[in-house]
Amino acid sequence: MTHVPGESRPGGEIGVGDVLPLFELPVTPTRIVAGAIASRDFMPAHHDADFAKAQGAPDIFMNILTTNGYVARFITDWAGPEAMLHKLVIRLGVPAIPGQPLRFTGQVTEAREEGEERVIEVAIRVANGLGDHATGTVVVSLPAG
Amino acid sequence: MTAAEVDPLRARLEVYIGTPMGPPAVAPDPVNLPMIRHWVDALDDRNPVYLDEAVAAATRFGGIVAPPAMLQTWSMARPRIEGIAERGGSPVEMTQDNPILALDEAGYVGTLATNSELEFMRYLRLGDLLQLTTEVESISEFKTTSLGKGYFVTWVTTYTCAEDEVVGRQRFRIFKFDPSTIEASE
Repeated sequence: MTHVPGESRPGGEIGVGDVLPLFELPVTPTRIVAGAIASRDFMPAHHDADFAKAQGAPDIFMNILTTNGYVARFITDWAGPEAMLHKLVIRLGVPAIPGQPLRFTGQVTEAREEGEERVIEVAIRVANGLGDHATGTVVVSLPAG
Repeated sequence: MTAAEVDPLRARLEVYIGTPMGPPAVAPDPVNLPMIRHWVDALDDRNPVYLDEAVAAATRFGGIVAPPAMLQTWSMARPRIEGIAERGGSPVEMTQDNPILALDEAGYVGTLATNSELEFMRYLRLGDLLQLTTEVESISEFKTTSLGKGYFVTWVTTYTCAEDEVVGRQRFRIFKFDPSTIEASE
């Protein structure tokens, strides 16, 4: 079934095993700093490379709010504006640093009707050349339609 | 350290478990469009329910809602930039009810976030004023990992709006480690 970008995916058409479209994010200092400041996180490790290196990190690295924000975007870019996130659970791994693009992949692991809703669980993995940056589960619902 | 040995630091940390971590806080500003726009632009997130009133009104949300992952953003403490590096990046001074301060003082100055679990009961709307309380949920026994030796600390932040309506929750786990033990454990 073809999906129109910007429109909500009918929940009833989503089934276990469905694979989300790959999302590749180039990671630059600008993206890291923009996300940190938009989330009001002024921790120097997210904008000051000298500070980050003194703490043992290879470079400035993405803050967790931004990682969560991109995971949420990855889900709603796929599911559409009617999607509502209920849970966003991640285990954190390697840092997201400049020059290491992030690859977001996901697959539906559960889909069930709850009243008028289709509740969907998606296993997600966000990885770069260093390894897994974040792995986990998102629970999202859509009108069952 | 074997299980039979007494860990005096861990024993001291026990008192923090199940107790508040910092005072209850109120967001400096209610949920508002300028901060949503800033976030949406920073993350290139074009979901119309965050900015387009006409589109949002026709969805189940009935109007503009804030991006769910902004939950923590609304209630972040206003940072004091002066001295932020000296405080290890903490936006404000930590209060004495915080086990992280005790771990820092004991030499476990390294911090690595390991888990984040966000739960959203409903999406936030313009004008919502968030309040939060944070409680220490658990502190692990002394652990040796590839990152060195230390303790996992887990806390839960509960976000409420007016009338004590719980709108979201975040469980967060960090590993507090002694950086000098990194090589020793490899």
